[in-house]
Amino acid sequence: MISLTGYMVVSAGLFCIGLYMIVSKHNAIQILIGIELMLNAAILNLVAFGRYDRFNNGGQMFALYAIVLAAATTAVALAIILNVYRQYKTIDPGKIDELKD
Amino acid sequence: MEQFLQAIDTQTIIFTLTAVLLPLLAFVLNITMRGRWDKISGWVSTVAILLSCILSGFVFARVWNGHPVHQQLLWFTIGNTQLYAGILLNNLSVLMLLLVSVIALPVHIYSTAYMKDDEHYTRYFAFLSFFCFSMLALVVVDNLFLFYISWELVGFSSYLLIGFWFKRHKAIMANKKAFIMNRIGDMGLLIAIMVLFTQYHTFDITQIFADNGLISRSVMKNGLWVSPTGHLPAIWQYIACGGVFLAVAAKSAQFPLHTWLPDAMEGPTSVSALIHAATMVAAGVFLLGRVYPMFNGTELTILAIIGCFTAFMAATIALTQNDLKRILAYSTISQLGYMVMAMGIGAYASSLFHLVTHSFFKALLFLVAGIVIHQMRHINDDNGLGIDPQDIQHMGGLRKKLPFTFIAAIIGGLALVGLPLTSGYLSKDSILIHAFEWADGKGPLFKLIPVFALLTTWLTAFYVARLIVKVFFGELRLLKNTPGIKLHVSDGSWAYKLPLVLLAAGCLFPLFSANPIEFTRSWLFKGFSPAGGFGAESSAYALLPVLVNSLSLLVIYWAWLIYAKQKAGSLLQRGFLYRLSFNAWYFDEIYNNGIIKPVLALGRFTFWFDRIIINGSVNSLARTGILVSKLSSWFDRNIIDGFLNLLVAIVRAIGNFARKFQNGRVQYYLFSMLVIILSLFILKILV
Repeated sequence: MISLTGYMVVSAGLFCIGLYMIVSKHNAIQILIGIELMLNAAILNLVAFGRYDRFNNGGQMFALYAIVLAAATTAVALAIILNVYRQYKTIDPGKIDELKD
Repeated sequence: MEQFLQAIDTQTIIFTLTAVLLPLLAFVLNITMRGRWDKISGWVSTVAILLSCILSGFVFARVWNGHPVHQQLLWFTIGNTQLYAGILLNNLSVLMLLLVSVIALPVHIYSTAYMKDDEHYTRYFAFLSFFCFSMLALVVVDNLFLFYISWELVGFSSYLLIGFWFKRHKAIMANKKAFIMNRIGDMGLLIAIMVLFTQYHTFDITQIFADNGLISRSVMKNGLWVSPTGHLPAIWQYIACGGVFLAVAAKSAQFPLHTWLPDAMEGPTSVSALIHAATMVAAGVFLLGRVYPMFNGTELTILAIIGCFTAFMAATIALTQNDLKRILAYSTISQLGYMVMAMGIGAYASSLFHLVTHSFFKALLFLVAGIVIHQMRHINDDNGLGIDPQDIQHMGGLRKKLPFTFIAAIIGGLALVGLPLTSGYLSKDSILIHAFEWADGKGPLFKLIPVFALLTTWLTAFYVARLIVKVFFGELRLLKNTPGIKLHVSDGSWAYKLPLVLLAAGCLFPLFSANPIEFTRSWLFKGFSPAGGFGAESSAYALLPVLVNSLSLLVIYWAWLIYAKQKAGSLLQRGFLYRLSFNAWYFDEIYNNGIIKPVLALGRFTFWFDRIIINGSVNSLARTGILVSKLSSWFDRNIIDGFLNLLVAIVRAIGNFARKFQNGRVQYYLFSMLVIILSLFILKILV
């Protein structure tokens, strides 16, 4: 039986990898992947904590819901990235800084 | 009858005006036509003065011993004061009118020849006419205001003519000196006129000085000078008299303002004859005659003392001078001293009589001197000797070369000495006799005045004899010293001779009196004496002239011995008295050291004071101001601006720091958010 701590550690690792990708990558798609990783870390937590709710399986349910939402968000995000590329001919968020003072 | 008289008077006034204005016209013509009329400008002036002379003769014939003519017009009004301009013709003014024009005529004729080669011929005649105008105006005007104007014009034209040869340094110095000395006198006259106006509220000469005029109705009471028109403190009367005296002393070269006249001889000789011998210098005596009633007894005595001292002093100076014209100049001062003294002792008629006769013989002597100097200059220029043509030590023996001039000089000289048959005898003896009469019954000190006057007569005889002997007798010393020089000497043309004849005629007695011995018979003397006045028969001094003249003859003989026969001559060339006389009693030195040098020193001191102290303080003030402003500028720039700049820098630094966060990079925002949240958490754990 894998302990809850093991899940939590994996989840924290995933979250940190995602966070690092978001902060450090120069490609919007990779950032999007980082977001997905963080989302999945959260979903993993939901599933792991789901064992305390065996009757309703609230954890699993929320996880499914979040996965669907994540897929939709990703679609929207990719569309935005596509539009950003059209506008700026780049998807490096570091170079899209026209809003600065 | 009344109307007829008035018409005659008006005609007389018109004649007078024309006589006065003709020389002015000549002046204007000569000034405006300069360059075109150069040849005839002399004749323009001469014709003008000739016409003036004829008209003056008419006026004289009408007014002399008749009723005085006085007409005036309202000139202008200031406040309540009405100023009239007019002409006053009485015995005094018509006599002077005639005298001035009669002396001026021969001088003009003489000048046409004398100044012929001068490059400023036209300017000379313009000035000469201007002088004649001023002088004629001076004698006929009827109020003190116009009198003062003419007085200034006379002084100014004299100044112009003394400095006529303006390239000569000495001439410039001389005319400056004459001008300054005359300014002192003018100041006196101005003060006197102002005092009289304050007292009498009028400038009119008749109203003030007539027989029953304002002066004669004024009295001194309790230290006040009371007149019908008001009263002033008594001191003002003395100030007015002192002012008039200063004016007389400056114009007529009396001590202490006499030193300008010898220097004035730098002008052309013909000018010296007219202005500085015959007419202008007599203006002072004329002024005395005009304002005579204003002097009281003490003031008259002072006048007499000054006149007597001047006469004596100038005569002693004339004894040793070597410059022909300076001798005559000192002689003029001496004779003017006689006139002033005569005024002072109350011999009004004698003084004016002497004025007239002196004008003739002194003008004659100056014209003679002009001829002699002219010929000496010819000799000098022909032979290139480089001597002073006016120095009588080079002359001598000119009797044979210039016979005509010699005779004229003898007549003029005898008249100046005052020997019988000349006009000078009549006038000078009348002064001497009056002086003795006056001193009678006064203290012994008063006797000194006639005694010195008498001494002066003999001194006059001596220097005149010395002059004539040195110039005309003996051998030409120039020829003796530098033998072999060429001499082309002659009396000159008719333009030289005619004036001499005219003036020489005026030096002899018939012009003035049918009787060559008694001055009281002279028409001129009678014209100024009250009826039934002084008679020689009543005088205890009737025999005085005999004594005077016999001694004069002795003196002349003595001078002849000394200078012609060269006996006892060297005795006089030494000693303190000789030096005193030769240096003109050191008056110039005294004035130089006593007045001019201190004044110049004062000027230099004030200049120094101005430059160092006043300018210095202003400059140091300026420097202090600059320093202060520099300091405040530094303070402004560094402290005040610096403070503001510091604020700005701080704000900018903060701003720059803050804007680093606004770099528009999404990831960075996220990262900073992360850092903040993490630090919050860490803080929370730690605290």
